[in-house]
Order: sequence, then C-alpha cells, then structure tokens
Amino acid sequence: MFNETVLKEIDGIRAKYPDARSALLPSLYVAQREFGWLSPEAMTCVAKTLNLPEAMVRGTASFYAMFRHNPVGRNVIQLCTNVSCMILGSDRLLDLLKSRFDLEPGETTKDGRFSLVIMECIGACGTAPAMLVNTDFHDNLTEQNLEEIMGKYK
Amino acid sequence: MITITINGKNIKLDEPMSVLKAAGKAGIKIPTLCHHDALETYGGCRLCVVEVERMPKLQNACTLIAADGMVITTESEVISKVRRGILELLLINHPLDCPYCDKAGECELQDLVDKYGPTVGRYTEIKRKVPASHKDEIFVRNMDRCVVCTRCVRMCNKVQGASAIDIIGRGNKSRMEPFSSASFNCEYCGNCLSVCPVGAILSRLYLHSFRPWQIDREVETVCSYCGVGCSVVVQVRDDSIKRVIPRFGLGLNNGLLCSRGRFGYEYINSEERLKEPLIRKNGKLEKSTWSEAIDFTAKKLTEIKNSHGGDAVAGIASPRCTNEDNYVFQKFMRMACGTNNIDSVSRMGFASAQKYLEDLLGQGVTSNMISGVKNADTILVVGGDPTAVNPILGLAVREAARNGAAVAVIGEAKGLEKFKTLKVVPPVFREAELLESLLSEVAEAKDPRNERPAVDQGISQLSGGSAGVDTGELKKILLDGKSISIILGSDLVQRANGHRALFAIAGLTYMLEARLTLLSDRPNEQGLIDMGCLPDTLPGGRPVTVHDFRDKFENEWNGTIPENEGLSLLEIIEGAENGNIKALYVMGENPAFNLPDSSSARKALESLDLLVVQDIFLTETAEIADVVFPSSGWAEKQGTYTNLERRIQLLNKAVGASSSMEDWKILKEVSIKMGYQMTYSSAEDVMDEIATVSPLYSDLTYREISAGHCLWPYHGKPLRGEINELPASAEAPEDYKEDLYLVIDKPLFHSGSLSRKSPALRKICPEPLLRIGPGHAQKLGLKDGDLVDVSTSKGGFDVTLSVDDCLGDGKVYLSNNFEDRGVLSLMGYRLDPVTKAPGIEGCAVKIQKKADSSAGSDKS
Repeated sequence: MFNETVLKEIDGIRAKYPDARSALLPSLYVAQREFGWLSPEAMTCVAKTLNLPEAMVRGTASFYAMFRHNPVGRNVIQLCTNVSCMILGSDRLLDLLKSRFDLEPGETTKDGRFSLVIMECIGACGTAPAMLVNTDFHDNLTEQNLEEIMGKYK
Repeated sequence: MITITINGKNIKLDEPMSVLKAAGKAGIKIPTLCHHDALETYGGCRLCVVEVERMPKLQNACTLIAADGMVITTESEVISKVRRGILELLLINHPLDCPYCDKAGECELQDLVDKYGPTVGRYTEIKRKVPASHKDEIFVRNMDRCVVCTRCVRMCNKVQGASAIDIIGRGNKSRMEPFSSASFNCEYCGNCLSVCPVGAILSRLYLHSFRPWQIDREVETVCSYCGVGCSVVVQVRDDSIKRVIPRFGLGLNNGLLCSRGRFGYEYINSEERLKEPLIRKNGKLEKSTWSEAIDFTAKKLTEIKNSHGGDAVAGIASPRCTNEDNYVFQKFMRMACGTNNIDSVSRMGFASAQKYLEDLLGQGVTSNMISGVKNADTILVVGGDPTAVNPILGLAVREAARNGAAVAVIGEAKGLEKFKTLKVVPPVFREAELLESLLSEVAEAKDPRNERPAVDQGISQLSGGSAGVDTGELKKILLDGKSISIILGSDLVQRANGHRALFAIAGLTYMLEARLTLLSDRPNEQGLIDMGCLPDTLPGGRPVTVHDFRDKFENEWNGTIPENEGLSLLEIIEGAENGNIKALYVMGENPAFNLPDSSSARKALESLDLLVVQDIFLTETAEIADVVFPSSGWAEKQGTYTNLERRIQLLNKAVGASSSMEDWKILKEVSIKMGYQMTYSSAEDVMDEIATVSPLYSDLTYREISAGHCLWPYHGKPLRGEINELPASAEAPEDYKEDLYLVIDKPLFHSGSLSRKSPALRKICPEPLLRIGPGHAQKLGLKDGDLVDVSTSKGGFDVTLSVDDCLGDGKVYLSNNFEDRGVLSLMGYRLDPVTKAPGIEGCAVKIQKKADSSAGSDKS
C-alpha cells in the first residue's frame, strides 16, 4: 500500500476533479513513480485509494503506452530512433549501449540500473539524436557524452 | 408530437427517442451489434447506419435523435454496402470457427454476415491470436472472437454494478478481461454472457454439449432460489435441463439473473436425487414402495393422533414448495392430523417480521414493487445485504444509487459498498437501540400522524436512549427524502428482542411514509404465509382463533379445525425434545441443519416416534427420518410462487420426474389413507380451491397468472391486523463484552442446503469461509486463507479464513450452507417472546489458527 505522503498526494489530485475517474491517469503516474511499474498490486492500490473498480484501472492503464506493465530498472532510457535521430547515428548509440552496458531495447541491465525503451519522435529533430532518461531530456548525443550522461545515473 | 417517416411509414412519437428505438416501435428492425436495449447507447459498431434525407452522410440510428419531419431509409444498396464493409473488417480478426463455436446458431455476427455478406474476405494477413482462457470455473473467454462491442463491459459496469471486467489494450489488440486476466472473481451473474453477440464469453456448464437448434423445448418458469421470483426460460433436451437463461422483456427481472438463478439449476439433474420412498427398518433406511410408505405413514400418524391427540403431531412446511403444496400441507395438518402445529424456517425472519409489521401497519404493508425501489430517492438498508440475499432487488438499489438516490446502510452490506452514501455501524447487536433513537429523532422532526394509535403510542414511549452512535446524518438523509424505501433483512429479526428493531422499522416506515421491503432468501416465503402454514393463521391471513373464520373454513373443508394456536417452529422442536410432540411431518425442509443449535434439534428429531420427510435429497433430516418420500423438484412440477412483492407467478413443468411425486400429491395420498378425503387431480385443482377459500387469491386462475401481473390482493379484500401487545419495552441494553461474536452470513453464491448440490455454485464457492475484518485479523495474527478452528460453547470445526476489507471488528461471519460446517450448529438461541423468532445474537466465538495450516492460499 502507499505510504502516508503518497496517499496525501493522491488525495490532492483527487480534490482537483469532480469525479474519481478523472484523477485516475495522474494517480497512475504517481503509482508508477512509486513502484517503478504498474504491477497488479500497484493498480489495486490506485483502485482502493480512488475507490474505483480494479478492472477499470487496469483497462485504462493498459491503453496508454507510457505505463509500464513489467518491472524496469532504476533508470529508464527512452531513445529515439526516428528519421532524424537515425540519420545522425542513433544506431551507433544502440550498439554502444549493447557493447558497453549489455543493454538491448526492451530489456534491463542485470544490475537493474538501466532499462532501454525505443521510442518514437520526441520533437528534438534539430538537435538529434535525443533521448530521455527518466524525465530528463538529453540531446546532441554522441558515443562519448552518452557514457558520461549515463554515469550520472546510479 | 414528433412525426417521422421510416421506409415510407409514418411514425408518431410522444417523446424524443433515437431513430433506432422509433423504428423498433414501428416494427422495423435495424441491425445492431453494440446496441442492446438493456444497455446505454454506445454508437461503436456503425452497423445501424441509415440514410436520412437532406443529411449528406449516413447516420447512426442508435445515436440520432428523431426530429420532426425526418425521412429515413433503413435498407438500401448503399447501406448494405457499408454494412458489408464493416462486417468484412470485423471478420479480419474474427475466426471463422463457427462449426466449433457454441454460439453458432444464435450468433448475431453470424446472422448479420448471412444477411449482408461478405461471402469472401479480401484480407490475407494473419488473424490476431488470443488463446482461449479456460482459467475461470464458469466462464470461457475466447477473445479471438471478441468484436469489442463492449456490451459485456457496459452490462457489468452500468447495470450489474460489479465492474469486474473492462476492455484491455488498444487498437486491434483490445479485448475484454477481468482484473486478474484469468479468473473473473466476480459476482458470477453471467449477464455479460447473455449480452455477448458472439461466442467470446461462453458458459462452461454446457460448453460443447448441445447446439441451440437442438433444444427440444423451452419452458418459461420462475427461478427456485430467492424471493424475487425472476422469470427464466428452461431449455430442455432429452428430458434434461441444458441451460437456464433469462429473456429480455420477460418477467420483472427483464433479462437479468444472478449466479444462483443462472448457474444453480444443476441440482435437478443430480445423481443424488432421491429415487424411491425409504422406510426405516431395523434402524436402517431401506428402499420401499409408494404404497407401503404411504400406508405406513398414515397408520403411524393415525395411531399417534388417536393415542396422544392431534397436538402431539406437528408439521414443518417449506418456503421452497409451491403455494399448492403448502396449501395442501396445512390443510392436511389441520384436518387429517388435527393440529395447528404448523410452521416453517420462515419463522427465522420473513414470516415473523411480516406478521409483526402487518399487525402494526396493516396487511400488505410489505407488498411493494421492486420497480418502486429503483425510483426511490432515498433507500435505507438494514439487517442484510440485498445484493446477496435478493440479488435482483439489489440491482434495483444500485440503479437507484446511480440515478442519484441516497443509500444509507446500517450494519454491513458488502454489495453496496461502492454505492452507499452513508454507512453506520452500530456497536455489536445494538441496532435496535440505534433505530429507536433514530425513530425518536425523526418523530420529533415530523408532525404527528395520529393514524395508528398503537404506533403513535409506541413512539411516544420510546426511551430515547442511544446506541452511542451519532444518527444526525442518517436522520438528515431520511428527512430529506421524498420517496423513501426501507429494505429490511432478517438479521435484526433473529434477536431475542427482535421485535424492538421491528417496531422501530415500522415506526420509521409510518413516520416517513416510506415503502418497506423484506428480504426473502427462499422463493415462496410470502406464499407460505398466504397459504396459512403458520400456527396462528388460516389461508388468507385469517386468524385461527377467530370463530367466524374457522367456521367458514370448516364449512369449506368438511371437518373441525383446532381452536387453539399451534406451536411455532422452535417450540415444535422443544416439544419434540420434551416428548410432547410425538410425530413430525416435514415437507421440503431440513430442520436438522437449518435451525440454531442444530445438534440439539437433531437429537430432538431422533427422539420422535415418527419423523416423515418429503424431500428431493437425502438431507440431514431425511437421514434420521422414519419415512422418506422422494418429491418432485422445481422444474418438475406446475404450481405457483408468490414473491416478496406478492406477485403470484406460475411455475411450469419443464422436465419429467418419473420416480418422484409432487408434494401435494403425496400429502393427498396419505390424507386419504388417514380417512380425510382430498380429490385434487392437478395443481390447478388446488389453486381453484385456494381461489375459493382465500380472500387474497379470490377468483385467481392459472390463465390469469400466466398472463402476468398478478399482484395480491387479487380481486381480494385485505384484512386489517391489530396489535395487541405493545413492544418497544425499554429494557436495559445488554452488554456485549466478548471480544468476538459469531454471526450468520448470507452469501451470494449459496442458499440454504440446496445450492450445495449444484456443482457450478460449488465451483464458484467450494467451501465455507469465515469472514473477518482486517483489523481483527491482524490483532489475532491471522491471514487470508489461513485454516482456523472456530469454536463456540456448542462445538467447533475447521474453516478457511477470509479477510474482508469491508468488515469492522467484533464480528466474524459464517454461512449455513455446507455439510457439517453450518454456522447454526455453533449457535444457541433465545426466542423472541413476541415474534417467536429465534434470537441468535451474542454467540461468543474463539478462532485459532490450525498449526498445520499452510500460509496463504490462492482461491483463483
């Protein structure tokens, strides 16, 4: 179950809307932040806190791509491989992640430090290639600065 | 007035409605997949597209509201082409496994494709694959076949209110799933199953066992489980029930059913059914013949009657039997055996409560329509959970709540947890005081009514004490209500001072001008009362002690009715214990299991000179009987049930019962042998006599009943009752200081000792569960799924613990359904002096974890 602080946070979210269903998406984000991913237990927590049916919580969560339904590492890398990023070398970055960190798209490093998700355009074509690590944005990536950036995340 | 033209036909509409509905009224069928009359409009499938003049594009008939002057065409080449296109898209993923699919023959998609095509699909890609899920005990999910019409989800969320399923995923990967993605863990009403247009949700009960067109016959009848009396259609093949389904537009349930009604029918086909009469010889029940058993019974009963008098004989009737059975039963007891010692387990709730309430407020006070509950703006639920005891009535409460009604719950009602406005939990067993103080406050706020002196006087005598709970909010909700329904369960009746709570309920009903509904967990409790299966009442609610009434019946029946009131249910058992009762005739009841302190009851029954049992199974009571008659079960006989709103409904015979006999017929044979003539040749003959003698059923015929809407008093004259002894004596409240008390649980999936013979219900709920609140469980260091030993002063046994978040501390709940582990065997009782109902409150209990219990269990 959520701790007191989180419960308070969700109550705060709930108070913004006339109807508990409206508070569901932001509350799911909170649950994902707390648990790392939306396990059945996490979804049950959200359902109980908002007094919504569990099935509805799962139905909503499964619709959106930004909710994770499997455990992930402590840090989630979302690397763009769309046209601009591809031209400017995102596949070299992928190779680096594989050789240096043994990290493949959709997988997690053995030490649980990083997970890698390939994502579609994040609107940084002018400064491609780009990626998100958790909620931090990084662009103009090269093989050198990628390693440096990743060093900041433990 | 709105006038529209559909396919050249002028249609006048009194109120705004969708084009689809208007067309339906005019008899024009527009094809639909996602639309269902029982559900809210969705507009997802686009199959109902129609052409509307001066509108450039095709319109959805389901979402388009008919406007004056609209000219609509529902079939044309363009429309057919569009529908064909939609169907072709659906068939990209829908597997063409009709030869294997149970739905074939009643599949809406199959019918539509048959009508509109396409005959060949142009898509060559691979179909979506979702493996069929067989992980649930009742439902098979075949999501390959799902067309995502969302009917099931809308049914579950918006009508049933269980919200157990939803659409998972997105795009062509979307499909319906329960939360667990495997087992449904839901209320198992199966209403999702009946709205699914394709074979995506199927029932395991009859999977691959027949084709819809192979049904020999369909019989409309009434469900055998609770007092709501839902209409069902029994489909029969080779003289065995293949399935029981509801039908939209039929009966008060209008297409909805609960788990018991839909899946509980298999007991009729059970191998364990009694097949021949049994007589105890040398201490053992042995097979016998009908004539031997009837002769034996008649001879023994006559002997006992002659040597000890009629009052040494007693009878227990059954709220599971029809009006006809019960009418003949009480007539047999009164005329052939010469006693008024007639009662039933209805004494444990419904009958006691109704008698008391009617005496105070007049006959028919509880005869309110279930549809009225739907329209109420305020509902007070007390003493039971309507969604478990009477699920379809529970749906009415949920619907009212969804429409904005305030729902106040006193005590526990798990099924209303998500629907209630307010829940008040009084200290253990102090509901009566809470209700009394609530009544005082309400009476103070209202102008006096001065219409019923007894009630007015009773209210003025209230002590005004409180149960230590703030009733302010409750009072406000009730005073704000304009149309109030009160729903009363039997829990409050099963108290040694149950009449106090009943008086408070009567007072609230009176002061608030509310409608009152009693929960009834057997199908014919009302009918049983109407038929006079009571120690103090003749058919039609006529008191047996009044000479003129007795006289009238004596003339009709050619004999003498004993003048004195007979013994009530528990008094009969006590009579058997102390030797005053020598013979007991039990019809369709199981007193050795269904009564409190059941081991003593069993001993008392064993000590009888003669115990006769008519039943469909060898119950705990039949096992110790001297004679056992195999009687016909529900679906094997014709007759009538009177439901809790006092609607008289016809049961029809669906399957033959070669080796059993109807209950009334067995009684008739025994009666004739005892020298009292009965001449009925069918159940209808019995009803003809009831219609002559009972003022409440006067002039009633089967033809009229089968036409529907027979609510009593039918051409009848209700009788006003009178209360003689005022209750609400302000006794000092008892202190309930024990840590934990045992109380009776009324589960959704079981009913009495009948449902245990239904394999499907046993799969949903295989064993008794001791429900406990999370707080108390933690205090005792117990977890969900632990095997515990539950014991009281009357005994104990092992049972699995279920931690239920809805429950508070101080009480544990256990049901009375399963063999050797009924809660009533652990409870003693004290009779309520006024209602004669057994008070089973205050049963202190100890629960202890079994040492060898494995931690945690996964029910799914």
